[in-house]
Amino acid sequence: MAALICEIVYRGIFQKNLAARIARGIVLSARKSGRWGIAFGRYGDSPQRNGIPAKDFAIVADSKEELEQNMARYEPKHVDVTICVDDTLSKGVESWAWYGLQPINRLTVPNGTVLMTSLQRFDDLLEDIHKKDAPYKLSLIRAKASFSGLWVYKEDHTEVRILGALARIAPSFLSLDGVSQAIREMEWGSDIKVESAKKAYDRIETREVKLTEGNDEVPFSFEMPKWWEMREGVTIPAIPLGKPKEAGKGYVPERNPYFKKYTTRTMRPVINFDTCVKCTLCWIQCPDSCFDVMPDGTYDANMDSCCGCGVCEAVCPVEKCITMVNESVFDDNASQWEMWRKDKDAYRTWMTGKIDDKQATVRSHGFRFRGQYEEELKTELDTGGVEITAGIPGENAQHKTS
Amino acid sequence: MAETTTFTNATQILEPFRGVKKVTIEEYFTSGHRTCQGCESALVMKLMVKASGPRTIVLGSTGCMYVANTTYYTTPWVVPWMHTQLGSSGSAALGTAAGLKALMKKGKMKSEPINVIAFCGDGGGADMGLGAISATLTHKEYNSLILLYDNESYANTDIQLSGSTPYGANTTFSPPGTVKRLIHTRWKKNTAGMLAAGHTECRYVATVCPSYAVEMMNKVRRALSIGGPTFIHSLDPCPKGWDYDPMLSHELGELAIETGIFPLYEVEDGQVKYYGKTKAIVEGRARKPVREYLLKQGRFAHFLEEDLHYFQKKVDEMWEQWEIPAVVPFRRLDATKAALETK
Amino acid sequence: MAVVTKAAPAASEDKELLISGSEAVAEALTLADIDVVTAYPIRPYDTVMQAIAKKIANGNLVAEYIVAEGEHSQFEIVKHASTVGARVFCGSSGVGWMYAMECLVVTPPLRVPMVALVGNRALDDPGAFGVEHNDALVVRDLGWLLCWIDTSQEALDTTLIAYRVAEDRRIFLPIAISADGAFLTHSQALTMVPPKAKVDAFLPRYNRGDLLLHPDNPITVAPQANEDWVIEIRRQNDEAMKRAYTVIEEAYADFRRVFGRGPENPWFEEYMTDDAEVILVGMGTISLPIKVAIREMRAKGKKVGLVRLRWFRPFPTDRLVAALSKAQAIGVIDRNYSFGSPFASGVVANEIRAAMYNAARRPPLLSFICGLGGREVTLEDVNKATDMCYGAAQSGKSDSKTHWLGVRE
Repeated sequence: MAALICEIVYRGIFQKNLAARIARGIVLSARKSGRWGIAFGRYGDSPQRNGIPAKDFAIVADSKEELEQNMARYEPKHVDVTICVDDTLSKGVESWAWYGLQPINRLTVPNGTVLMTSLQRFDDLLEDIHKKDAPYKLSLIRAKASFSGLWVYKEDHTEVRILGALARIAPSFLSLDGVSQAIREMEWGSDIKVESAKKAYDRIETREVKLTEGNDEVPFSFEMPKWWEMREGVTIPAIPLGKPKEAGKGYVPERNPYFKKYTTRTMRPVINFDTCVKCTLCWIQCPDSCFDVMPDGTYDANMDSCCGCGVCEAVCPVEKCITMVNESVFDDNASQWEMWRKDKDAYRTWMTGKIDDKQATVRSHGFRFRGQYEEELKTELDTGGVEITAGIPGENAQHKTS
Repeated sequence: MAETTTFTNATQILEPFRGVKKVTIEEYFTSGHRTCQGCESALVMKLMVKASGPRTIVLGSTGCMYVANTTYYTTPWVVPWMHTQLGSSGSAALGTAAGLKALMKKGKMKSEPINVIAFCGDGGGADMGLGAISATLTHKEYNSLILLYDNESYANTDIQLSGSTPYGANTTFSPPGTVKRLIHTRWKKNTAGMLAAGHTECRYVATVCPSYAVEMMNKVRRALSIGGPTFIHSLDPCPKGWDYDPMLSHELGELAIETGIFPLYEVEDGQVKYYGKTKAIVEGRARKPVREYLLKQGRFAHFLEEDLHYFQKKVDEMWEQWEIPAVVPFRRLDATKAALETK
Repeated sequence: MAVVTKAAPAASEDKELLISGSEAVAEALTLADIDVVTAYPIRPYDTVMQAIAKKIANGNLVAEYIVAEGEHSQFEIVKHASTVGARVFCGSSGVGWMYAMECLVVTPPLRVPMVALVGNRALDDPGAFGVEHNDALVVRDLGWLLCWIDTSQEALDTTLIAYRVAEDRRIFLPIAISADGAFLTHSQALTMVPPKAKVDAFLPRYNRGDLLLHPDNPITVAPQANEDWVIEIRRQNDEAMKRAYTVIEEAYADFRRVFGRGPENPWFEEYMTDDAEVILVGMGTISLPIKVAIREMRAKGKKVGLVRLRWFRPFPTDRLVAALSKAQAIGVIDRNYSFGSPFASGVVANEIRAAMYNAARRPPLLSFICGLGGREVTLEDVNKATDMCYGAAQSGKSDSKTHWLGVRE
């Protein structure tokens, strides 16, 4: 008697429908070989937020009794396959306060599989994915993160490619025929999608990952207080007031110590402090108050709290002064302003390297206009995304000056 | 405990910020909340207490700005903040203000003007809590500001339509189906206009949008300084519920105003004063077509031309036929006469 | 013999007034110098609000008096006033109390020491304003302290005690004082009103401490909690309610010391139970016809006693079991209903059955429902119940049916 436990780790809202399709697809595919299964979202994630990592689960088993062992709880203790549909989550998952930074492979059983959609090289990914105390397999499907929104879905075949890959990873539960049959019967299924699933079955790339490989950062975690240690009346202390940055100048707010945004952003702003006109708009319009005010009146996006929304780029009146760049090309959360202050030339080189990287700056972060997704899918694999420089929206869009 | 003499029930006098460079530098609503990328409602919270300053108590009814902000037993609030029930923002403002007043009047607490702000979402304020807000706006002896952040749905429960959801929008309670394309065919409630018209002793009602941060903060400061119960209605784009790339949040706030869908005005002691881009519209600048705003949002992706046409017609009516354009839906006399004649 | 309240020493400073239960509560509120009170009309409780309005109009009391637009707001307003440190009062009846339910639910976990009067009233539909206890009972699991009183004097005294207990930092839980509609809320009786000086000696000022919502104490109250936190928060409420036993005993002892009167046993009044073969149990003004019937039955040689339960929450399990175990049969008369409950009996009967479960000696227990919707509880009703209890005493068996007394059958 056996069970296959899968978790789908995804970017909240942007990939909510994708994850649900995958979870249901797993159960309905396994059903074709007579298995029993359940699909559910992790209740603690709801209500989901744009960008905040979330999880769905699909569990199939030979018998109903075995299935019951995995029911009536928010999250399984271990999973056979971790499916991650946004490779920036390889840096870890932080879904809510006190959750800490949880490695993407935390629940993956020894010799289990982490299946990811990514264009990165294995070694680049393993710079981000935390070391595990057991060997496991890393499988990749060559694709960009599939983002859309709640109402309009981007039919880029990601869900079927994942199902096709799973047929390769867990053939005893998900035969390729079962997957194909289930896809045809889905309301979002089609024959072309069956072909995509088969291609993924063939083209999946897998590599063993040893104990010694991976990011050796010790992810932060928190000890939750006992009931008698908590102040009564459901009361917690407020956040203290912030302080000037240096010598009484600038300002750095105090921030919530128990919840950081490292794993909320797929992209982060890169700032050109030389061309900044100190107009304050990025600072005042940032919904997450992530800009620290520097002593010289410029603004440094604090990577503790930037969630990668892109509003700063939208409102900044200066061409390429703020550019959103994919999180995968950064190795740390260090302050850009400190780097710039220390060595302006080195910073300029580093910065231009980032903001000129066509693949890292292309953006497909949900709906912008009707027909957008179809247009994106026409362009090749690696540039999927709408040319973002054209007509950057925002108060000062029309007089963007270079 | 007899009444003391030091208590005057005065408010803090908060002068308007003369431009964005003069804005308070401190943050009283800081990072570490769990809102969506590009959530303009979070921006409203930040600007609201940046405008009010530290001597402020904030009450927040259930909604995104409750659940997303106080992220599972943590907080982004620097000023004292307390949760209240979905429909209780009016009562929270009234009770907090009354408690402070009683204690200060009886010498049980140091007398000082403390800002009391209660915020609510469109569901909490314009639907469930409307009765309590209306009651609070009649108690002119208690100083408080009720701020309604309107993301046009019950967003915290994954987007259901509310009384403030625009005509035809896609929500989980109004999915476009093969048989019924538009389930939600109600027109958005005119909350600020209704409250301004219905409460003669409420000295200040205003509408704001966080895309215009300085004006918004100055309306909050005006409301807190003028005294008595005041009301502000903010329109804040919601990337999750409206389904758009979060980067567009700022622009969509502007477009909502430039298309004339959401008017920016304040009503002070009965005087209606339009401001910002709305003032330009009233003074004759052409409104942008509503389609420019609607078709940038996935929640209207199922609209047909007839829906866009209907939406545009209704917005045109607001500006061309209302006695006080976009504020109170009473048809102008000549329009009524004309209508009568054609019968 | 039951311990009759010792006659107070010559309480010259007390004023004797002819006042109803509601008015007696209003006297206590004035003496307690409450800060914020919210009113909303519904019979029969709102007589207290009428009384308070006069106190404020005549300057006897300085307080913010706010007429809300509904009970939901009525209770939410004072809940928030309390969080900034104001001593508050509220109240309602029947479906009014039910309309405030959302607030009643959140008040205990917020540790808001609200004191409320419930003028017990039948729940709709149909609209009926006679006494039934279901309204106050509905919050019995949520962290409210609940007590039932049966005289104006007790209404006044218990209101003062309620503030002392609710505002004790070890508790910080709300208290609902239940007064039977009409029979207590409206009927005027001679009541001793103590001087302010005594109340000031008994009742310290309300101090919210580190839970105070004020710019000088920056806190966040009631942040959203998920499955990582909720059971810990519930455990805190559970502990607070457990501490209530000690705090209530202390408060009554201090009340007797300061005012020279008040019951030795805070939890229930025992009337002629020392040698009682049958003990009847009830709450509220049902005690009056029962005492009359007991005296008549005693004259005929039937040794019957009454336990009038005062504190329903926290439930005085040990002391009540001790008091009832010595009887040959117990008759619990509920002025409420609990359709579909065990034995289809009222709430108090089922609570006592549960309390007796571990008792060394469990006399037969019969459950009765009587006096719903304000129907008078007659001497015949009490006699009938007592006779049935004697039957059970002889047979040695409880019966599994609940007997409805006084219904046209």
